[in-house]
Amino acid sequence: MLKRIFRDILIVSGLILLWASTSRTAMKYLSDKRDNNTWWGTYQCLNGDLVSMAHLDAVARFNPRKLKQNFKQPAYEGTRKTDLYLDGDSHTWHLDITNFAGLSAFHYFERTHGYRYHLDKDKKSILLIEISERYLQSYFSAPNMFDEVYDTSSQQKNSLLRCGPRAEIKQYASLFESIGLSELFNKNINQNLECNLFNYNFIMPMFEYKAALNYYAFNRASGDVVISNDRKFLFYKETVSRTDVGSSYYAVTADDKARIVDILNKVYDHYKAAGFSEIYISIVPNSASIMQPDGYNNLIPDIQNDPRLRMKVIDIYTVFKKSKELYFLPGDTHWNFKGKQLWLDVVNERLLQDTAAH
Amino acid sequence: MTFNSLQFLVFFMVITLWFFRLKDQKGRIWLLLLGSCYFYMSFIPEYILILGGSIITDYVAGLLIEKNEGRARKAWLVVSLIANIGVLAVFKYYNFFVDNIHAGSLFFGKSLTLPMLKIALPIGLSFHTFQAMSYTIEVYRKNQKAEKNFATYALYVMFYPQLVAGPIERPQNVLPQLKEFRPYKWDNIKEGIARMLWGFFKKVVIADRLAMVVDRTFSHSHDSSSIALFAGILFYYFQIYCDFSGYSDIALGAAKVMNIRLMENFNQPFFSKNMGDFWRRWHISLYSWFYDYVFNPLITSLRNLGQAAIVLSLLITFFLSGFWHGAAWQHIVYGLIHGVALIYEYFTRKQRKKLFARMPKAVGNVIGVSVTFLFVVFTRIFFRAENMRAAMDYFKGIFSFSRGSNYIGMNRLEVCLSVFLVGLMLYRERTLPGYFIRSDKRFYFYTIAMVVICYYLGVFAENQFIYFQF
Repeated sequence: MLKRIFRDILIVSGLILLWASTSRTAMKYLSDKRDNNTWWGTYQCLNGDLVSMAHLDAVARFNPRKLKQNFKQPAYEGTRKTDLYLDGDSHTWHLDITNFAGLSAFHYFERTHGYRYHLDKDKKSILLIEISERYLQSYFSAPNMFDEVYDTSSQQKNSLLRCGPRAEIKQYASLFESIGLSELFNKNINQNLECNLFNYNFIMPMFEYKAALNYYAFNRASGDVVISNDRKFLFYKETVSRTDVGSSYYAVTADDKARIVDILNKVYDHYKAAGFSEIYISIVPNSASIMQPDGYNNLIPDIQNDPRLRMKVIDIYTVFKKSKELYFLPGDTHWNFKGKQLWLDVVNERLLQDTAAH
Repeated sequence: MTFNSLQFLVFFMVITLWFFRLKDQKGRIWLLLLGSCYFYMSFIPEYILILGGSIITDYVAGLLIEKNEGRARKAWLVVSLIANIGVLAVFKYYNFFVDNIHAGSLFFGKSLTLPMLKIALPIGLSFHTFQAMSYTIEVYRKNQKAEKNFATYALYVMFYPQLVAGPIERPQNVLPQLKEFRPYKWDNIKEGIARMLWGFFKKVVIADRLAMVVDRTFSHSHDSSSIALFAGILFYYFQIYCDFSGYSDIALGAAKVMNIRLMENFNQPFFSKNMGDFWRRWHISLYSWFYDYVFNPLITSLRNLGQAAIVLSLLITFFLSGFWHGAAWQHIVYGLIHGVALIYEYFTRKQRKKLFARMPKAVGNVIGVSVTFLFVVFTRIFFRAENMRAAMDYFKGIFSFSRGSNYIGMNRLEVCLSVFLVGLMLYRERTLPGYFIRSDKRFYFYTIAMVVICYYLGVFAENQFIYFQF
């Protein structure tokens, strides 16, 4: 009898677990409830995204030094007549108008979400596309990527700004979406199950032991994280694997580079026509491109220095290359405080030049 | 839902416990069928429509084949075969043909470009179409009665443990087991779970670890030393074995827990004494399929040609088996090389027998096993390479005896661990197949040990099983 009750409890628990791990609503509810430091809370990503992916918190060399992060507020006395539209990613999160020089307005949007904009004709509107090197090829290689933007370009008052590839919609998928089946086959189910079954603060030491074993015995990190040749940095596997298009060592042909430039030119023409006075691109290099440059495919310098490129460039790659300072976090895909501040300095210098020229 | 995922573990627990909760076979069939649909749809939901379409076609064809005689009977078999091969041709081979038509037209000075299909290959397509074909062929040959119950037939094709990567079953083995009420037996549970754990161990501890070396050497074939490249291809042979036989172990174990016995797919292929022996030990369900439904009918119909019949039948069979693995020239070459090796063995069988008779049996065995092993290792380059050019570059790299990088993607300690694990795997499979389930205590100890080892030594890099792509 007891066995049967136990069996039925397991069946029901398993079904609930599967359902909860496919339902976005349930996962959101659970993560909201568990986003804390109690024993049943979820693992906090305190030492960098790569450290947390590899559970290498126990290895001190990859943990960031705790620095107070107050970005400079550039002084500006003149009339503020420049609106900046920043199409960014996680590198440019948490910025606001005070971090930029001489702006009258600051609009931030992430390229995958899109943004409805209305240009103020009395102001100078600048579009700045900040993109990580690892996404450059995938975003700016699709030939049909700006269809949506072109479709709405005539409606100047409320156009859609989206500098990413158009989402590919499979026709046959609509049937399953319409009857709610797409959620049942949530592609993130394994990550969600891992979160629901094992992502508890009290279990974390088990993950950290395994990560430490891999690190000290086999000289490698787990999963999608790779240790640099000098063992001082962690790299995201996607940025160093030769088979990944986002990698610093992926064999990019001259044709591929030309295609990216062509698309960037289309983007430039489109937004120029839409009323922007200037369009900039700023490519944030993979940390491997700077810290481990042997075999680098030269994607950024080749794109930036292509004479056909009409878009203006805010070049952070060369600045990072020339400097002997460290601009990346050792256990994170992102730049450190100094790197971000340096980027802001370069952007502000450009903004001030533009304002002066206006 | 791959076998090495958490989703599968939870799914397996729910389905198995529910299976034993049900007291009638009809309910169990529907439970397994719905569970199998969920399992298959978790890859790409839409492709259930293709699978469903071919199941309905073969179910109806089976009934009509049984009902009719003469030409009508044959016609329904042809309909079933065309439907199955048609699906394969469209989803798996269409782009290959288009590509080659284009290349061929360029050779003749014209450019003929047909549109390419931009669709993903339905997972396990080659496996379940072959299993479905074996059903209609067996009904046609009157070795198997047509299945009247649609759910039972659908489950025969869709039974989740063997749906996406085999073993490619025969109706005579599976259908009677699906119809019969199979009671709960603790010994089956032990045997099934022990086998599943062994499969997980082979996949996540050995295969995915060796994959680091294989991926590294195949992506650095131009700047790696000959030794590194040889290590890469040697490890690949063990990787693909542990990957595929690990999958088969999980499949057979999952079925065994429910008291269903599927056919064995491997029988220690590393100890094969010649190529004929190898093909009786490697991917047994596929090669017995080709033997029964391609080689035998061919040799019968070509019997008037004498020895040429054997040559032709072997070449055609192995050409098709290579093509089955992938729509690419390197797979075809892989199949043909093995076909040629078997032809060579056939024509030299007397001389070889005389030669081996002159030496001690153990020496003959060592020579036979070593030569077969090395032959398979080197031909695997075609199987792994992305295309023919990459395969030839890899060959050149090995035999140029160059002094490139010796780094193979792991440090020395891990290389030693990998060699130890491969040795352990060979020893365990040859010497201790049933050792850990002889008593409950051993079973519990084994289960705990395997879970701990799989977790701490497992390489969880979300690697799919290699044979899923076929």
